[in-house]
Amino acid sequence: MVEGLLAPINLIIAALGVGFLLPLIARSSASIARGLFWLTQVFLLLISSVWLLRLIDGAPAVEVITAGIQPPFAINLYFGLFEAFVVSAVNLSAILGSWYLIDYFKSRAASMSVYLILTMGISGMVMTRDLFNLFIFIEITALATYGLLALDKRPASLAAGFKYIIATSLASTFFLLGTMLLYHLTGTLNIDDMLLHMDRITGPVGLAAGVLLLVGVIIELKPYPANGWGLDVYETVPAGVAAMISVGVSAGAFFALYKIVPLLGDFLPVVAAVGGATFLASNFIGLRQRNVRRMLGYSSVAQMGLMTLALAVLYMLGKSEYVTLVIGGLFINHLLAKAGLFWLAGVVDRPRTEAWVGLRHRPILLVILGILLAALAGFPPFPGFWGKWELIMQLSAGELPFWVFVVLLGSLLEAAYLYRWFGFALQDDETRAPAVEPVKLIPVGLFALSLLATGHLVADWLGLEAPRVLVPIYMGIILYALDGMPGRLKALLVLGAFAVYAYPVVMGLEGLHWLFGLILLLGGGVIAFAVLHRSDARRGFYPLLGMLLFSLASLLEASSTLEFFFAWEVLTLSSYLLISMGRGAREHILTFLMFSLGSAFLILAGFGFAYGETGSILLADLSKVEKSATLVFMLLTLGFLVKAGAAGLHVWLPGAYSEAEDDFSALLSAVVGKAAIFGLLLAAMHLAVNGVGAINQVLYVVSWLGLISALVGALMALFQEDVKKLLAYSSMGQVGYIVTAIAVSSQLGWVAAGYLTVNHLLFKGLLFLAVAGLVYQTGTRLMYQMGGLIKNLPMTYISVLIGIIAISGVPPLTGFGGKWLLLNALFDKGWYWQAGLAFFASAVAFLYLFRLIHTVFLGQRKQAHKDLREASWLLLFPQILLIVAIMAFSIWPKLLIDPIASSFAGIFPEALIWDGTMLKTRLGYWDGFMVINIVAGVFLVPLLILLFLSRFMQIQKVKQFNIVFAAERPETPETTHYAYNFFSFYEKALGPLLKPRATAFWDGVSEWSHTIGSTLRVLYTGNGQTYALYVLFYVVMIYIAVGGMG
Amino acid sequence: MDLPVSTITLSTGLALLLIGMWGMLTQKNIIRMIIGFSLIDTGVHMIMVTIGYLSGGTAPIINDAVDRLTALQDVVDPVPSALVLTAIVIGLGITAVMLAFAVQIHDKKKSLSIENCTESKW
Repeated sequence: MVEGLLAPINLIIAALGVGFLLPLIARSSASIARGLFWLTQVFLLLISSVWLLRLIDGAPAVEVITAGIQPPFAINLYFGLFEAFVVSAVNLSAILGSWYLIDYFKSRAASMSVYLILTMGISGMVMTRDLFNLFIFIEITALATYGLLALDKRPASLAAGFKYIIATSLASTFFLLGTMLLYHLTGTLNIDDMLLHMDRITGPVGLAAGVLLLVGVIIELKPYPANGWGLDVYETVPAGVAAMISVGVSAGAFFALYKIVPLLGDFLPVVAAVGGATFLASNFIGLRQRNVRRMLGYSSVAQMGLMTLALAVLYMLGKSEYVTLVIGGLFINHLLAKAGLFWLAGVVDRPRTEAWVGLRHRPILLVILGILLAALAGFPPFPGFWGKWELIMQLSAGELPFWVFVVLLGSLLEAAYLYRWFGFALQDDETRAPAVEPVKLIPVGLFALSLLATGHLVADWLGLEAPRVLVPIYMGIILYALDGMPGRLKALLVLGAFAVYAYPVVMGLEGLHWLFGLILLLGGGVIAFAVLHRSDARRGFYPLLGMLLFSLASLLEASSTLEFFFAWEVLTLSSYLLISMGRGAREHILTFLMFSLGSAFLILAGFGFAYGETGSILLADLSKVEKSATLVFMLLTLGFLVKAGAAGLHVWLPGAYSEAEDDFSALLSAVVGKAAIFGLLLAAMHLAVNGVGAINQVLYVVSWLGLISALVGALMALFQEDVKKLLAYSSMGQVGYIVTAIAVSSQLGWVAAGYLTVNHLLFKGLLFLAVAGLVYQTGTRLMYQMGGLIKNLPMTYISVLIGIIAISGVPPLTGFGGKWLLLNALFDKGWYWQAGLAFFASAVAFLYLFRLIHTVFLGQRKQAHKDLREASWLLLFPQILLIVAIMAFSIWPKLLIDPIASSFAGIFPEALIWDGTMLKTRLGYWDGFMVINIVAGVFLVPLLILLFLSRFMQIQKVKQFNIVFAAERPETPETTHYAYNFFSFYEKALGPLLKPRATAFWDGVSEWSHTIGSTLRVLYTGNGQTYALYVLFYVVMIYIAVGGMG
Repeated sequence: MDLPVSTITLSTGLALLLIGMWGMLTQKNIIRMIIGFSLIDTGVHMIMVTIGYLSGGTAPIINDAVDRLTALQDVVDPVPSALVLTAIVIGLGITAVMLAFAVQIHDKKKSLSIENCTESKW
């Protein structure tokens, strides 16, 4: 009995039966009708999901035979694993989606039957194996859709609905014609039977049949440019209906394509091109879109294009075994995310993207939106991430670099418009927080959770060490659950958990990984300690901080390129969200995300081509790459250089580093930025050391790029009034030296790189934390508004003093060792010009560093600042640790250089020799211990003399107001401050060199992309007849493309 | 001139298809566009029937008039005729929905021109 009820055929019978009964029942009792409606939906979901579980368990697929006659003489349905999966997903979306249509259902009972029949039609499209029957189900689905389009009686909805009907009815006419021609040729309507008689599908009729069938299905998937009607519908119909069309109807159509693809052998390149063109064009056009629903429509269309491309390419390459992961991943990802977003768009009901300001004050809403968008943009751990990863791997392995490029560019564009929208939602405006009924969030919240769950399932299914890569995500979720606790408690929890997790990780690492284990994890822990100085709750900050810190650990633990990329993306996403918490950050977060994603995609492509050659995703196997070594190395290096802020690719950096919250800026610049250095060294270690191909030329270019960054960073830092911006540009410059040192590719070079990295971590962490205290106390970031603060913040003054000596490369502190090693390495390599530029750039650096002391701490104190107190000791404590480290490494450089040299042991010939405390190279020697003693002596003697004299001489201390002011009162007094525009004379001299060329270039790129979008979208005239014409053109185009003319 | 029935139905079907398309693409009036669709639909149905037709064939009823062994060559294929019935019903349904939309559009806009249906674009 129960078995009988659960038979898959009931998916059709129940929906159809109840569907037609509902209007009758509604006449006597509307509430019974509604109850029956919900009950039926639950029943449908139950059947499909019970079978899904059984089929996963290994039960055989169900063949449904109709009329008691075997196929091909009667229609048969097939209910296998894929079918059960798609039908269950669609039924689930249907049942949750009807939640958002309740009001419509109440006013008209008939719409409930139409809705049930729509669900049934989609199930039929998925299950049937008979081509004509497929046509019937396409039409049933279409008719039911038309019925739902008329739910909303606004003129715009009706107009859009009519256009939709014209286009889809033309498409199904083509499908019918194609079906009949195939029947004519093969004598059967059964798809499996047709596959046995493929040899009969020949000649012009065969070609025409194929073209008509393909167009009939493809048009349902809304290919560019024959899709204006679909977008109009997405824009105007109720959100619940739009969601159902976007995920349900499209799922049916896509499954139909999946079924007929084997019939279309020769057409596959054309199908791929159709998908690729749609994906790229729709995402370009999406850039111009400010209407939320239409934008989601473009994204839907694009995703269908991507899936079409993936399906065709996998069959072309003969890799149909990857269909499950690639298509399955992309499919379920899109279904959950897009349905959720459409529903959310309906719940919030603000048509324009810029009207979503204020969502930030509805944390649950914001988290749901964040999860859905992250999934759609392909971030881990969501299923789309895994699908896209495998797609790129297979495209690279199949030597289709063009398609790799298309997929990555399209994804970048899609992320651009999705996250621009999210940027509005992140804006701080309490008055505009939307009012939302909490119950309305249940379905969409369920889908957000399902995305997390399916992401986990895929990771598990892939046989990855799923728990390990997912640790950062879990950490984020757990901490988010505890977000109600007091701020400091949460901070202690994050730091404690991180310490417990990171300690064994570092202990288990060796070589380069061990070195960066110390830099990223120990350094990260010390600098993150500063978050304790704030006692407020900082909602959302600690979960993200946990995610960020733990993803640094995963990055080091990664043994495969997949795990590395996973951690890299989590790092990107958590940094983005953390930066977005900064008060002035909103103009900069999109730029940050775009460049970070660009970098991630370059890295992904690099990993892809490496996999293409070696067939392995192990990081260690990167060194086996030979043929494509240069390409892989270039892609990886370029990717990491973006994140290192190399000149020209740095435009994201100043805004992000300076506008993030003050304590997070320190972590970002000192620690997170070092992940890029780790990546560069990792790529170089595996690919560059052997110097195959043109890698040495690449390294030579990189060496110049690093130094140009050093110079540009220093020059830009020179003219900043904003103290954090100064430090941001300084980071860019200092990382430039590290890049150059890596490019030297010798023991000296890499030891210099490691040394500079540690040193940068120490002094930049120190300076950013000191500045955090300074900004926190003074409430300003502009240096000319400070001055004379040495007495108020003496400890901070000492921190800054030590920091700038350590940075500037003069003895006795650590900076000197770094410059000495770098110059040695450059001279040793014979790169004299680079050495000269390095020397010059560090002289420029000295000029801006001087301002930090001179403008901020010396000179006249502002009246308003006279009662300022020292920064919190919780902020000072990590600074003291960093100072201790700097001093220790300055006195005993061996402590630092030995471990660094040992972590690169065996890669290069030894070039460093220790003689006691003296370090010798081919070119000279340096004795750090002796240097610091001499310097200490040189300073101590005059100090003692002065102290001695001050006791006996008559000294009058000059007080602040002992000076005489001139009689004038200028209009804008701050501009007369001596520290204002301090280096204007250099600015005059260097003016033409300092134009923001890179920013102008990237603005141009952005504008051009928008222009491409505008150009592509002129085809959408809004006229239904034009759209019908495009559908007809599409037939002709496909016909020509598959060779019908030749 | 000996013109087989199948040639006549096929060419009529194609002609109807093309006239219908011409109508859908050129007529601004929604009702006329719907008529165009009906013509396309009818054309397709005629083509479908033609596909199964066999010149000079007999009705697909296996009785004394038809030799069971050569039936495959002698009788008209019944499947397309059966399918066309379904297709006609579906075509009718779609035409009805289209007309319903036309009524609604006329109610709201007091116009039947497709050119007035361009609220959303780009």
